Amino acid sequence: MSAVNVMSGKGIEGSLRRAKIFQQLTLYIPAAVLALLVLAAIFAPFLAPYSPTKTALGQRLIPPFFIEGGSTAHLLGTDTLGRDILSRVIFGARVSLSVSLLVILITSTIGTVLGIIAGYLGGRTGTVLMRVTDVSLAFPAILIAILLAVVLGPSFKTVVLAISILGWAPYARLIRGEALRLREADFVAQARIIGSSPLRIMVRHIFPNIINPLIVIATLSVGLVILTEAALSYLGAGIPPTTPSWGAMVYDGRSLIDTAWWISLFPGMAIGLVVLSGNFLGDWLRDKLDPRLRQL
Amino acid sequence: MSKIILQVEGLHTVFFTRQGVVKAVDGVSFYVREGETFGIVGESGCGKTVTGLSILRLLPEPAGRIVGGKIILDGKNLLELSKKEMREYRGSMISMILQDPMTSLNPVYTIGDQIAESVRLHQNLKDDAVEKEVISALRLLKIPAPEMRLHDYPFQMSGGMRQRVVGAIAMSCHPRLLIADEPTTALDATIQAQYIALFKDVQRQTNVAIVFITHDFGVVAQMCHRVGVMYAGKIVETATTRELFKAPRHPYTSALINSVPRLDRKDNRLYSIEGQPPSMTDLPRGCRFFPRCSVARDVCREQEPGEVDIGGEHSVSCWRVS
Amino acid sequence: MADVLLEGRDLTKHYPISHGLLQRTVGWVRAVDGVSFTIERGKTLSLVGESGAGKTTTAKAVLLLERLTSGSILFEGKDLQRFSKSQLKTEYRPRVQAVQQNPWSSMNPRMRVRDIIAEPLVVNTRQSKKEVRSRVLELLAQVGIGADCAGHYPHEFSGGQRQRIAVARALALNPSLVVLDEPVSALDVSIRAQIMNLLKDLQAQYNLSYLVIAHNLATVRYMSHSVAIMYMGQIVEYGDAEELFERPLHPYTRALMSASLLTLPGDEDQGIKQIILSGEMPSPLNPPTGCRFHTRCIEARDVCSKVEPELIVKGKQRVRCHHVVYRRP
Repeated sequence: MSAVNVMSGKGIEGSLRRAKIFQQLTLYIPAAVLALLVLAAIFAPFLAPYSPTKTALGQRLIPPFFIEGGSTAHLLGTDTLGRDILSRVIFGARVSLSVSLLVILITSTIGTVLGIIAGYLGGRTGTVLMRVTDVSLAFPAILIAILLAVVLGPSFKTVVLAISILGWAPYARLIRGEALRLREADFVAQARIIGSSPLRIMVRHIFPNIINPLIVIATLSVGLVILTEAALSYLGAGIPPTTPSWGAMVYDGRSLIDTAWWISLFPGMAIGLVVLSGNFLGDWLRDKLDPRLRQL
Repeated sequence: MSKIILQVEGLHTVFFTRQGVVKAVDGVSFYVREGETFGIVGESGCGKTVTGLSILRLLPEPAGRIVGGKIILDGKNLLELSKKEMREYRGSMISMILQDPMTSLNPVYTIGDQIAESVRLHQNLKDDAVEKEVISALRLLKIPAPEMRLHDYPFQMSGGMRQRVVGAIAMSCHPRLLIADEPTTALDATIQAQYIALFKDVQRQTNVAIVFITHDFGVVAQMCHRVGVMYAGKIVETATTRELFKAPRHPYTSALINSVPRLDRKDNRLYSIEGQPPSMTDLPRGCRFFPRCSVARDVCREQEPGEVDIGGEHSVSCWRVS
Repeated sequence: MADVLLEGRDLTKHYPISHGLLQRTVGWVRAVDGVSFTIERGKTLSLVGESGAGKTTTAKAVLLLERLTSGSILFEGKDLQRFSKSQLKTEYRPRVQAVQQNPWSSMNPRMRVRDIIAEPLVVNTRQSKKEVRSRVLELLAQVGIGADCAGHYPHEFSGGQRQRIAVARALALNPSLVVLDEPVSALDVSIRAQIMNLLKDLQAQYNLSYLVIAHNLATVRYMSHSVAIMYMGQIVEYGDAEELFERPLHPYTRALMSASLLTLPGDEDQGIKQIILSGEMPSPLNPPTGCRFHTRCIEARDVCSKVEPELIVKGKQRVRCHHVVYRRP
């Protein structure tokens, strides 16, 4: 018997088809999940069975309906103040999704611009920019955030500003490395030979080629942003606690995790779903934007 | 004549890709004698590297698979060995030199350590015996002051010296067969000439059989005793080197030889083969070279030519010859 | 008097070697050390040498990708140092273009072929979209690529086709000089002849000058009118291609030629012997005293290690050697 396996043609066809189906599922399911969450956020007042802030002390800590003692009146149970978890998760999508989207837009833009400039132009400008980046990376972000909250007062804007103000630094570091590598690329030399200006080279030649790592780091930071927002709320530097957000809900349920685990679990699952869907969609977007992969 | 050490018969290797099944090596047969160098020359994508990897059974799995043929090394069919037996064969019976000396050495270990690792894997030796083997391997490749150089890191050496170290690793366990895939391509002209002369000398000393894979006809001429010319997954012509250059019989071989500029004469215009090699997922029905061949006939379009032995270790796959 | 397009006079490029915490300069690498050459209109000059010879740095200086330590480049008789920044941009850059060695890395993988070829026009001219498009199609036809391929991305082409696209891009601005950096060495053997023939045809058609960087002497002989052999930053032999290859005067030239000659098994019995140099090019940090080649030269004498030879005129050739003898390789 030969130790070399021969795979039949049919088996290959089948596995190629399965791969294709899997590939499509990893696009449609995450897209559907995110779309549902966004719709839920927009139409929260119509979808949520209760007001997210209405307390009912008589109905404290009701478990979800599938657990003994739960009821279909509160599908996902209630928290320590008797607020309906489902309603709070639906309303929480508003804060969590909009904060993360805004923060990622702001930080990735600043980080990309500074990273490309520092990497491509280099020299003194590059050194200064990178030292600023290093300082930003070393600075305790929470401290800045609390300081801002004290100065500006806790609000949605403060939260976005507080997370963004240092959040661009990891982007800048990563993008600078990529830009440094691309600066030596033959096609960049060619662009200089034909007389392209540095700005044109950065926009037309460097930027399109750093999209891959940019998407990876942006999708990975979704979860981080949501949790930072929660930490800020917890410290009283975030969005006022009456407004529900997923991160804050996870924090609220922390001390009761062994008895009333549903308080943390459901918003936690929502965060997980967003991060996971974001990663899948990021991969898809990356392939879509890369002409080398598009035809396959 | 010395004994045949490696006999490859009807080797078929395929790759399963998203575009379909690629028959990278499609029925390749050749043999190598002890102390002989057999060159496989061809253009990129013709399957020469895959042939080398198939002999070592180092194909990237699961995409690449050997689906037919025999690879008989010293009387044993390598395709019937278990994975574990094959691992023991690699390094001790067969070894390999890759193209790029920059990436085939690990930058964080001294060259002595890297050679010693290969020695220890295949021979059960004490430390001082290992060191002796390491030094003799370095000496075989004429690395000056081996006792001192073995403490060097790869970055402390030039490209040529590094490629000698790669050679020393490959030869450290006294293999019977060496597969060298473009080992001189990354080297400068004068260093390349040194390396080839060096390897001829190593071969004289050890009687190792070499399968030399390259795209460079000049290197083939200097290094190989016999040559197989590969095109689109098949060997189209095999002959002794001198005969191949002096009297090529396959139109592809003669076209290639004619299209290389010569230093010893002034060419006003180079002969050029029009077109590109065929896509490996969409091969022509008849002879694979037919679409680019200047002397093709009707039969070439319809049927693949078989291999014809024309005597004197010369065989050709072309309808004009049969 | 020959029609000189570009002249390099005493080009020198020294890189500082810095060391320690304060990045003190502890020495200089003399990558290019007093190199002079002329490129005539419609002709090809090849710079030949092994890695570290300084040929790429010289070419980069011509392309303004490297700033010279000293020396001057004259373009149509005018010193580039006298050019203002805007003159360089409008009067020099567009007329000196390049084709790089590796067609897999010389194009932005995210741009379509038509945009790649159009880029020089977009950057340097004010042609309308329509004019640009028709010029791109014209260029594609000239290098033998079908117009239907204009919308494709570089990865959809083979190496030979990509190199044709790179040639089309280099020709877009109707340059006078094209720097060809190892234009065929990354290509398959059967494709090389196609590209070399194409380059020769285009040269004849447009009276182009080429500055070729190469290590393969056979390629150089086919492509060039004159040749400069470089070793460790210096030109060791310079002259008309035919004479140089028929009568190589420098021992290094002979060794290089010997390494590139087709030698078959059995040739040795007929008295053809390859010259194999011992050792490798010394570290440029610490070049040998005297003749830089003496450490590897099979004909070296005492004087070679002490006195640095000048580039002397020998007939129509120039050679840097103390004891020029003619010997066929």
